[in-house]
Amino acid sequence: MKRLFALAFITVLVATSCGALGIGGSSIKVGLVTDIGGLNDKSFNALANQGRLDAASQLGVTTSVIESKKQEDYVPNLTTFAQQNYDLVIAVGFLMTNATWTVAKQFPSVKFAIIDGAPANAKGDTENLPNVANLFFKEQEAGYLVGVIAATMAKNKVGKATHNTVCSMGGIPIPPVDRFIAGYQDAVKTVSPSTTILNGYSNDFVDQAKGNAVGVNHIGKGCDILFQVAGGSGLGYIAAAKQAGVYAIGVDADQKDAAPGTVITSALKRVNKAVFDTAKAVKDGKYKDGDNFFSATNDGIGYGSLDPVVPADAKAAADQALADIKSGKIKPKDTVQVKG
Amino acid sequence: MTLASSASPTGPATAPSVRQPTSQWSQGPAVPVVSVLVALLLGAIFVLISGHNPIQAYAALLFGAFGSPYDITETLVIAVPLTLAGLSVAVAFRTGLFNIGAQGQLFVGALAAGWTGAQFPDLPGVVLLPLTLVSGVLGGAAYGAIAGWLKATRGVNEVITTIMQNYIVVFVMHWLLQDGPMSAPNALGTPASSPIGAGAILPIIIPNSLVPLSRLHAGVLLAVIAVVVFWFLLWRTSLGYELRAVGLGARAAAQAGIDPRRRMIMVMGIAGGFAGLAGMIQVSGLFHRVYDGFSSGFGFDAIAVALLGKNSPIGITLAALLFAAFQRGGTIMQSNAGISSHLIEIVEAIVLFVIAAETIVRAIASRRGTPAEALA
Repeated sequence: MKRLFALAFITVLVATSCGALGIGGSSIKVGLVTDIGGLNDKSFNALANQGRLDAASQLGVTTSVIESKKQEDYVPNLTTFAQQNYDLVIAVGFLMTNATWTVAKQFPSVKFAIIDGAPANAKGDTENLPNVANLFFKEQEAGYLVGVIAATMAKNKVGKATHNTVCSMGGIPIPPVDRFIAGYQDAVKTVSPSTTILNGYSNDFVDQAKGNAVGVNHIGKGCDILFQVAGGSGLGYIAAAKQAGVYAIGVDADQKDAAPGTVITSALKRVNKAVFDTAKAVKDGKYKDGDNFFSATNDGIGYGSLDPVVPADAKAAADQALADIKSGKIKPKDTVQVKG
Repeated sequence: MTLASSASPTGPATAPSVRQPTSQWSQGPAVPVVSVLVALLLGAIFVLISGHNPIQAYAALLFGAFGSPYDITETLVIAVPLTLAGLSVAVAFRTGLFNIGAQGQLFVGALAAGWTGAQFPDLPGVVLLPLTLVSGVLGGAAYGAIAGWLKATRGVNEVITTIMQNYIVVFVMHWLLQDGPMSAPNALGTPASSPIGAGAILPIIIPNSLVPLSRLHAGVLLAVIAVVVFWFLLWRTSLGYELRAVGLGARAAAQAGIDPRRRMIMVMGIAGGFAGLAGMIQVSGLFHRVYDGFSSGFGFDAIAVALLGKNSPIGITLAALLFAAFQRGGTIMQSNAGISSHLIEIVEAIVLFVIAAETIVRAIASRRGTPAEALA
């Protein structure tokens, strides 16, 4: 008798939970799987999660998120959503290309999206699948915009930028990182050919100390505008700029708050928009598999809030560049010219 | 509830000849069940404080752990290392030693297995898999035996040595996998060893057509065998009898002609072997290579598992399943109900707290001369 009650109790629990969780409801379900950076990285994953929350509140879709603690969590986390029959499962980041291929192949009726990559099979070769949308960004355009601001300030020796030298630091030289740096360098060479350009890598996306060491080195060589494309490690690069009283440029999200007065602007990569738009596309039946690009044309990239030190002519130049990129007059380069 | 009520301790019932002063404590499943229920109730208060509905939270937890065949297999995947590490802690407990080093022994077992598996990738499975298994078990056993040896010959407290051993292996692991002899290139950012050979891999035992992409591997069968071995060793062999005798009173055991020192070294070796097997299974069954800092935390959860399972084979298995369900369900609870998975850590901590409080009460009671039964 007791056992019967227990059984009944559990059944009721499961039943109510299914109701409460919207299982079997009519609205679509969107699941987001972060990479190991986690939800509090103040950049890439946080932006993706923002897009998820926007989709939940504005589109009325049901959403969930799972944080990946380890690299080996990618496949089970994606599978967890897929086997619950989610309508859209979004993998955040280049590191999940292989996991996305594995899971998407297994669940052909579930739609997937991967940010910054395309599905890669067991051999590591890219293989587009009919149920995976590859969400790419034209990072070189965002890099170009902040490059215009940096070059204008370096050329005119604005504020503490007195050495006519600008720098950048990537985390690891992977395509989405290098496209930012390529656009940045392209802008500096175009706007101010006399400006010295330096570049480096922290070989890390987490360790702030490594980013700091590269920053100190760059500042020692006369850099007074430092652009970071290195996630958490880049925060160390910004900290070096703050310590030395020079300028820094943030990446992905608006990083003004990381060091007010030091961060003069940020190269925005609106991952939130990519997540939101893809969820909307699935809801409206307009999902497109294969490559999807987010660029200046569809507000996928941009530049962040400007510090008061940025002069009006630099802002005007950046706005002009944005318009020219949209019109196709400027096509920022996507390969890094100054490696060291 | 049915889960815990069937937790009958095998131990005392089958060993009537050794009267244990702690036997009352390990009689019946009442204490573990009550402590889990109390913990869940207190956890519900935390859920309320955080502004959520406790019923919804626990429903999501249950759903996440057992809601679909895939979820059940994922829960089992977590239960395997928890059970084995739990056996490691319990076998030492039974001999009166406190093995805090299951985590370190697990790592050593994983490193040994990972090294063997990657070193001879071309050997056929019939040779390589047993070889990998033996490496893992022996690696963990050797590492555990060091603490036993220090205790037996120098009287060094095993709690301290095993804790320090955990630190040593964590940093040796960093070195080995980051830029030491075991590091492999292109592991995508996480320091890791080279993949093990195909022959060293424990096969997936659930067909893909039944549960797509299930990770449930043959390690679960090894864990079941290990539970039986644990029971057989302790209650069906003379060595097990001696180990338990040492656990109940080392001096009395010595009077009876059992050398407690030798038994201490042996039991820490056995404990290390169980934990080493857990590490080997994680490598051969799940990851197929050694990742830096992988599977951390199992060695510590294992202490809770052994306590909750009252160091009995069935109890440990059930406790490991419960903790695995907490872990698996906690992830899903966070994703589906929006409640932090840290809640589960709170519940686990309260379980331990209640069990510890219960032993304290009994200790006080027995000092006063109150029959322990009065409290039962």
